[in-house]
Amino acid sequence: MNTAAETSARVSSRFCTFALVFGISFAILYVVCDMAALPMFTYHPGTDRIDPGFAPPRRDEGPAMYWYGWIATSALGASILGLLAALLPEKIRGKIPLALAWVVPVMLLPVLIYSLKFYWRW
Amino acid sequence: MDFVLDYISVNTFWTILAIVHALLAVALLGALTHQAAAVLAPPRAGAAGGFVTHFRSVSGPRYAGAVCVLWVLAFVLGGWIYTKYRIYVRIPIEQEGMWKTLGAFELKEHLATIGLGLLPVYWHLWKNARNAAYDSARKWLTAVLAAICWYAFLTGHVVNNTRGFGL
Repeated sequence: MNTAAETSARVSSRFCTFALVFGISFAILYVVCDMAALPMFTYHPGTDRIDPGFAPPRRDEGPAMYWYGWIATSALGASILGLLAALLPEKIRGKIPLALAWVVPVMLLPVLIYSLKFYWRW
Repeated sequence: MDFVLDYISVNTFWTILAIVHALLAVALLGALTHQAAAVLAPPRAGAAGGFVTHFRSVSGPRYAGAVCVLWVLAFVLGGWIYTKYRIYVRIPIEQEGMWKTLGAFELKEHLATIGLGLLPVYWHLWKNARNAAYDSARKWLTAVLAAICWYAFLTGHVVNNTRGFGL
């Protein structure tokens, strides 16, 4: 019974570490991908074309969309970091502050607002 | 999905999707607001059973699963609609020079995406609601997600009023 409970606690702790590191690194990577133009792919909605990586809009084919590509890049990077963090020894995993789950998105807000400065025209 | 267009116009199709997206957002907003109220201002013991007391007396853990499902559904539907928004809604708004409206919408898409990535840890914190070590993180993460949801909902509403599908 104790062994089962301990195993459950350990699994839960590993999942908690994965979820926490995934959440904070996904948020950071997403902002980096946005600001540094690092989409995994580019979608051209006018023609349903998908190009790998960053591709500028094509002449007479409408706009290019990078949002899906940013999400893909961030999700991949965050999954890798989350899995690596989950493999860390419990002593190290336990030192990752849970508060980062909400502090990181709050701290990224001014960065995001700044990244959109093009739109804040008066 | 093309067979649907034999019965309804393209504009009607995308308008229906936008309305379903909005209805999912309403449900999500309600669930998250109840949950945030319950953790930020829990009812005092022995308080009279008025509207506000009942509003914040919900069982937070019961809402967590629904919040995750609704966030994902609203996000996926929003991501689908986004392809048409980019061409048929955003370009006319650009031509009108309404840059702040577009910027507010860009911020909405960024925040909703970041919120999506936080759902696994949010779900885990609520699944273990009896763990007192999670109390603070659970409370503030719920408040952050509720704030994102309110911002996204209001911005989506403003952009739809500015130019919705089928106009």
